[in-house]
Amino acid sequence: MQAFGKVMAVILTATVFAPAAGASVHDHLFANTFDIPADAPTSANDAARFLTQATFGPTQADITHLTAVGYNEWIDEQLGKPATLSEPTVEAVVNARTTGGQTVGQSQRRQRWFWQAAYAPDQLRQRMAWALSQIFVVSDASSAINQDIVPMAAYQDLLARDAFGFYRSLLGDVTYNPTMGRYLNAFRNLKPSSSTSPDENYAREVMQLFSVGLIELNLDHSPMLNGGLPIPTYDQTTITHTAKVFTGFTYSDATTNPVRFYSGGLSFATQYAPMACWGTELVPPLTMSQTQHDVSGDDGTTGTPKTVLGNQKIPSNQTCALDLSDELDIISAHQNVAPFISRQLIQRFVTSNPSPAYIQRVATVFESGTGDLGDVIKAILLDTEARTPPVLNNGDSYGKLREPILRLTAMWRAFNAQAPVADQYGEIKMLGTTNFEGSYGQGPLESPTVFNFYLPDYQQPGTFATNNLYSPELQITNESTTYTTANSYYSFTSNAYLGMPTPPTDRPLIDLSALTVYASNPAALIATINADMLYGSMSSTMQSSLIGMIQFGLNGATPAEKAWSAIYVTLLSPEYTTQR
Amino acid sequence: MSHNRNSRRQFLRNLTCLAASGSAAAFIPQLRMMATALAGTSSLAGYKALVCVYLAGGNDAWNMLVPHDGSRYSTYSTSRGGVYNAASNPGGLALANPATGNAQIITDGNDGNGATNQYFLHPSLTNLASIYNQQKLALLVNAGTLVAPINMADYNASAANRPPQLFSHADQENLWHQANTTANSSLGWGGQCADNLLTNGANTQPIGQPNLSLCVSIAGANRFEVGSSVVPYQISSSGLTALKGVCNPTCNMGANNANARDAALNALLADTYANDFAGEYKNVFQRGRDLYGLLNTGLTGTTLTTAFPGTSLGAQLQMVAKMIKLSKARGYASRQIYYVRFGGFDLHSGMFSANGSPNDHAGLLTQVDQALNAFWNCMGPTDVNAQSEVTAFTASEFARTLQSNGAGSDHAWGGVQMAMGGAVHGGKLYSNGLGKISGFPDQAFNDGVMTFSRGQCIPGISVDQYAATLAQWMDVSPGNISTIFPNLGNFGTSNLGFV
Repeated sequence: MQAFGKVMAVILTATVFAPAAGASVHDHLFANTFDIPADAPTSANDAARFLTQATFGPTQADITHLTAVGYNEWIDEQLGKPATLSEPTVEAVVNARTTGGQTVGQSQRRQRWFWQAAYAPDQLRQRMAWALSQIFVVSDASSAINQDIVPMAAYQDLLARDAFGFYRSLLGDVTYNPTMGRYLNAFRNLKPSSSTSPDENYAREVMQLFSVGLIELNLDHSPMLNGGLPIPTYDQTTITHTAKVFTGFTYSDATTNPVRFYSGGLSFATQYAPMACWGTELVPPLTMSQTQHDVSGDDGTTGTPKTVLGNQKIPSNQTCALDLSDELDIISAHQNVAPFISRQLIQRFVTSNPSPAYIQRVATVFESGTGDLGDVIKAILLDTEARTPPVLNNGDSYGKLREPILRLTAMWRAFNAQAPVADQYGEIKMLGTTNFEGSYGQGPLESPTVFNFYLPDYQQPGTFATNNLYSPELQITNESTTYTTANSYYSFTSNAYLGMPTPPTDRPLIDLSALTVYASNPAALIATINADMLYGSMSSTMQSSLIGMIQFGLNGATPAEKAWSAIYVTLLSPEYTTQR
Repeated sequence: MSHNRNSRRQFLRNLTCLAASGSAAAFIPQLRMMATALAGTSSLAGYKALVCVYLAGGNDAWNMLVPHDGSRYSTYSTSRGGVYNAASNPGGLALANPATGNAQIITDGNDGNGATNQYFLHPSLTNLASIYNQQKLALLVNAGTLVAPINMADYNASAANRPPQLFSHADQENLWHQANTTANSSLGWGGQCADNLLTNGANTQPIGQPNLSLCVSIAGANRFEVGSSVVPYQISSSGLTALKGVCNPTCNMGANNANARDAALNALLADTYANDFAGEYKNVFQRGRDLYGLLNTGLTGTTLTTAFPGTSLGAQLQMVAKMIKLSKARGYASRQIYYVRFGGFDLHSGMFSANGSPNDHAGLLTQVDQALNAFWNCMGPTDVNAQSEVTAFTASEFARTLQSNGAGSDHAWGGVQMAMGGAVHGGKLYSNGLGKISGFPDQAFNDGVMTFSRGQCIPGISVDQYAATLAQWMDVSPGNISTIFPNLGNFGTSNLGFV
């Protein structure tokens, strides 16, 4: 029933600016700063546009550096940067606050996340972790893990560390992670008994959402068809068998002497350390009745192999580690993984509706590099479809709606926002009064369900649905969230700039000096906004509207109000909201 | 920029005079539509509203409604691994069978046989048991997604007999929203009903002015309310918030700086955009601005005397109640469709908890019970006074395996839904769609007819039948029913008769 025939990849060489780096090795050459590299952006605007796709927002420093070293070298440098971590800071803050008698909550983790988005030097890695967190979803909306502040920070670090590694390693680390385990129930999932069967949640979602999806795909993400119909990747029997693979996991410090499966998790470190599995490898001292992993069909089907994805068999009587390893190898080797993951990453970085050829080019890199995600992101960003947008004509559906969080971070970075000093507990406050999930419809590790804030296949009614096009971010854009998002931006501009009287201490303060210097030159002020926020793409009509606003309506306003008004209205504008 | 809107309004007033005076329609073709678009000309009598209460994650409905008689209760209890006990049976999922006389025990008014017509509702549903006994709440039994009526043999015979992607949250939710399984459409059945109702004059607001959509969502984007011409208006359960730094919608005297920003923003929103993302974002934002202007004053002045629980679902249904009251008072529409959503039902684990939790199944159902009860009371004669005009109904992507996984239950198929309202023929179970399976399901595993190895039930009545019954109550044109529900003809009846 499984279609194993792999569509031969069309060999495409001319469309990528440079061949992808060799598998997993991202060594970079010394760049002579006096030479202009062959692949340097042709203008500051081109550089800013690339950085809008690849980072949490362009800064002048990044534009200068990218222009000096070129795209390839810039990406290689980023691939080589170590991950900026959340967990050590969050743990220290949580401990200090606890000692000081203060409440702790997920906001401790979120404060750190926004600091990293704004300031971490490994911008591409952090953006990739953010994209991966929208595929390999865990969420503090779940009561199962919303108390796990430090372990969730560690999960963020897991994604950042694995961001440019092999897909198979990422899938393994995610599967063994106790936060994921608790979120999707692989944690302490029990082998079958006479009256129970294993929890099917992780078995289902690891295939539906983290790897292969529901239907067999060609390399360009088009569905394979059989008699005109899509071919399911698995059925309920697959799920029931796969669920047995994901049994027996508990905290790594659960004690086997005495035998206490439900113990452990006594420190932060063991709350995020990879889970241990209680299979036959723990015998002795455990007896078979004390193991919790399904070894040989404990529901009475003794000696029956587990029939998993693609009708492949995992032999009975294996150790837990071997079962897992087999299962994850089988999933990772499935032909769907490359197009399924590549397409979603393209959607997060470049465009909601990549051409089949673009997906296929990236998926080909995915496969030839055995799932090297560093190669994949490079292929995504250097592809001609990313670097050269089509000419803007009516009915244009290229690009994407910028995520509301990325609109904020790009504004911070454009105007050199200064974070407040750390408070007495070592915490740097970034959130202001905004509840991101509530106001923006998205927040870091805060999705309402495992299906992320929006679906990759969401079609906004109207133009998108009519033309069978996708528009994921429009799923969280409605009459209510446009207002709540805008009001949050207002609090991060009008009430958050350097030099203002009694500035707030719970959010970064933007530096308006690049704009206030042009307080009496509205055209120059708006030209600066255009370069810094819109990589020079602002239409002449929008420029006229904003210049008019500064020149006439705000004629009597302070230079600071002219400046933040220009930023605020731009933040709300359809043109800034679109990344093209 | 707001004077633009005023002048448009003035323009329309003038047009209305022209229309009344005779042959202006010959010059301005759009005027032909005005007869149906102006207040008081709807061909639909009275006011009616549907309220979809979506229980997200897959509600374990077989613990919402349980057979009380000894024989069937025993089957149920065995399949669920015995009665839950935190100490002695933590993996058991069965509820204890209440003693005779317990208020949760209900009688199926559609079944005259005293040996089989006794059930009990989950102990959290105390208020809903009372509404059921007032015959204002009906229970739809073993409802789910179906292509056509089937039994186990049909299921095994061909994949074409099964809905696509059974057991997947997102896919099954979409099929519930569509009420058909043939195509993965972007349209929902509520939105398509609204399309028809709009054509029939359900919109009683003057044209030209910002119009409130016939579909209102308190829970964000959803497929259910998307029609070919109708898209849902999305409002927060906390109501409207003013847009900061600009005018809402008219500027205060002397607020020059806010005025300047407002003018610039309005200019940007009035522009046209070649890129679809920019264009759609603009449309949404502009609609938000228009409807803020239309609704804010009225909504601020709309008060309810009924107290709602301070839960997510309570707040959402409170906003629905306010919108219904306001819409009736202002005559916005003669038909409306609302959508609220309450999540957390995907209880693979934590279905029961030792000390009680708002997030376990009992806790979630308590929230459902209290919020729906408040809504029912609020629609009562002393408050909104629309009980017979408003029908609330539940939906959920699937019910769950009867068999336990040791801590909860997994994804399954057919389940139980509730319909509540003054027009509902309540106090009864509706389980007969004239298909191949009917009645309360046999809860033994692998019964050969309707249940699988873990106690997943093949549905006896389809979402199409459930939805079409509600659509007919809303007075959707009979000729459109078969278009909106293209598979309805596969089933034995297009109206289950519960409303």
